[in-house]
Amino acid sequence: MIWILVLVFVVCLVLRFPIAFALGLACLSYVLAKGIPLIIVPMKMYSGIDVFVLLSVPGFIMAGNLMNHGGLTERIIRFCNHLLGHIRGGLALVNIGASMLFAGISGTAISDTASMGSIMIPAMKKEGYDMGFSCAVTAASSTVGPIIPPSVPMIIAATLSGLSVGKLFLAGALPGLLLGVGLLVAAYTISKRRNYPKHPRSSLGQILRGFVDTFWSLLMTFIILYGIIGGIFTPTEASIIAVVYALIIGKLVYRRLSFKSIQVIFLDSMKTSASLMVLVGFANLFGYILITEQIPQAISNEILGFTTNKYVVLLLINMLLIIVGTFMETIAALLILFPILLKVALAVDVDPIHFAVIAVLNLIIGLTTPPVGVCLFVASSIGKISIGEVSKAGFPFLMVSLLVLVLVTLFPWFSLALPNLFME
Amino acid sequence: MLHKAIGRILKIGTLVSTWGLIATVLLQIICRFTPIDTPSWTEEASRLFFIYAMSFAAGLAMKNEFYVHLSMFYDRFPSRFKELLSLVIPILSLVLFVFMGIYSVQLIMLGLAEKSPSMGLNMGFAFLSMFIMATSVVYYLAKKIARDFKNRKS
Repeated sequence: MIWILVLVFVVCLVLRFPIAFALGLACLSYVLAKGIPLIIVPMKMYSGIDVFVLLSVPGFIMAGNLMNHGGLTERIIRFCNHLLGHIRGGLALVNIGASMLFAGISGTAISDTASMGSIMIPAMKKEGYDMGFSCAVTAASSTVGPIIPPSVPMIIAATLSGLSVGKLFLAGALPGLLLGVGLLVAAYTISKRRNYPKHPRSSLGQILRGFVDTFWSLLMTFIILYGIIGGIFTPTEASIIAVVYALIIGKLVYRRLSFKSIQVIFLDSMKTSASLMVLVGFANLFGYILITEQIPQAISNEILGFTTNKYVVLLLINMLLIIVGTFMETIAALLILFPILLKVALAVDVDPIHFAVIAVLNLIIGLTTPPVGVCLFVASSIGKISIGEVSKAGFPFLMVSLLVLVLVTLFPWFSLALPNLFME
Repeated sequence: MLHKAIGRILKIGTLVSTWGLIATVLLQIICRFTPIDTPSWTEEASRLFFIYAMSFAAGLAMKNEFYVHLSMFYDRFPSRFKELLSLVIPILSLVLFVFMGIYSVQLIMLGLAEKSPSMGLNMGFAFLSMFIMATSVVYYLAKKIARDFKNRKS
C-alpha cells in the first residue's frame, strides 16, 4: 500500500501542486485505500501543530519582518560597507558580511536573497561587477542565514527529534561562521583576480556611527541567544521577546513602524507561518503513515545492510540531501526526510545534534546548487540574467560550501563545541 | 460583500489570535520574574492562540498564494497541459480540504466530551480551528476555480 503514498506524492510534486497539498493528497489516497477512518486527517493535522516549540516559528518570522521594515537591511549594508568596503571587491564582501549579520534576524535564505539582492545586485552592477558574479555572491551568501541562529530549519529539526532548540541554535553557529568566512575568501580571491573596485577606507568615526546605527538590531540576536542559552527563556518566549523588542525599536528608535504597518507585517508573517504549519500538519500524518508501515526501519536496514561504515553512510545521506535540497523547499524536505535519516545516523553512532547540522547544511547548500536551486532563481530574476550564468559564476562558491559540508561532516567538533561548552 | 466579510473575519481572527499569543507568552515571562505565580493556563492558551492564528491565516495564505511548489518540471510541460493543470490542481486540493472539513466536524463532536487539562476548555472549541482552516482554504480554492472557469469561457 505504501506505493500509493509515494506515487501520489511524487506525481503531485511533479505536476506543481503546493508541496503541503501534495503531502496531504498522498496521505488522503493512502488513508482511503487502506480504509483508515478519515478523522485521522484533521486529528494528525491538529496534533502536528499543537507543539509549544513551534510557536517560535511565527515569532522569529514576525521579529525579522518588523526589523526589516524598520530599514534594517540598509543599515546593516551601510555598516558592513564601512568595515569591508575598502578591501578589493568591497561590495561582494559587504554582500556576504551583511548576510551573516542579517542571518541573526531573518532565518530564511530566500527572504535574504530577495531583500539583500534587491539592494546589492543593482549597486554591484553600477560599480562594474559582472552580473553573474553579483547574483551568485548574493545567492551563496544568503545560505548562511538558515544555519546561523535563530534558524527556522533548526526549530523544525528540534520539533521532529525532541532535541533542544538552544543546543541546535548553538550547533549551527560555528558551521555558519565557517561558511561565511569561506565565501568571503572566495569572493576576495575572485575580486582580486578581476580587479574589482574598492572604496576609500572609512574613518573610525564612520565605523562607530555605523555600529551605533545597527547596534539595536544586532542586540536582538544577542538577547535571543543569551536568553535561550542562559536558560532565561524558552525558544518560544525568546521569539516573543524578539517581537516585542522589534516593535519597540521600530517604533521608538527607527521610527518607521505605524500601527497600520504593524498589522500588515503581522498578517504577512502569519500567512508565511500558516503555509509552513499546514505543511507541518500534513507531514505529521505522512510521518505517522511511514512509521506504521515501518518505512524508516526498512530504509535504515537497507542502508545498514549495504554498509555500516559511518562515513560511507554519511556520504550517502549527504548526496541524497543535496539532491533533494536542490529541488525541494528546505522545511518540506526536512519534515519528510529528517526523521527517517536520523534513525540511520543514530544506528552508526552519529550524534543527533551533529546530524541535524549536517542535514540543514546540506539542504541549504541545495538552494544554490544548479540547475534548480531556489536562491539561484531568485537572484537571477533580480539580476535579469539566465540561471545558467548565475550557476556558472556560482561554481566557486558552491565548491566552498561543499568543502565546509565535508569539514562539518568529518569533524563533529564544529557542531558540538559550542553546545558542549555552554549547555552541558 | 460576503467575500469581503469573509476576508475581514479571517484577518481579524488572525490578528486577534496573534496579539493573544504575544500577550499570553509575555504574561508567562513577566510572572516568572515577579513574585506573582505563573498561571498554569498560559502555555495552553498560547498554543490555542497559535493554532487559531494559523487556522485563520491558512485561507489568507491560499488567497495570496503563499504555499510553495516545485516548478522544475512544470516549465517543460506543453501549454495545453499547463492549462489543464491550472484547473486540476485547485480541484484536487479542494477535494482534500473538503474531506478535512467534513471530518473535522466529527473531530469537534469527539472533542465536545473532553476538557483541556489546565484551562478546562471544551476540546470541541480547540478542534474547531481545524474546521476553520479547512473551510477557509476551501473557500479561496473554490473562488479560484470559479475565476479560472470564467476566464476560460470569456
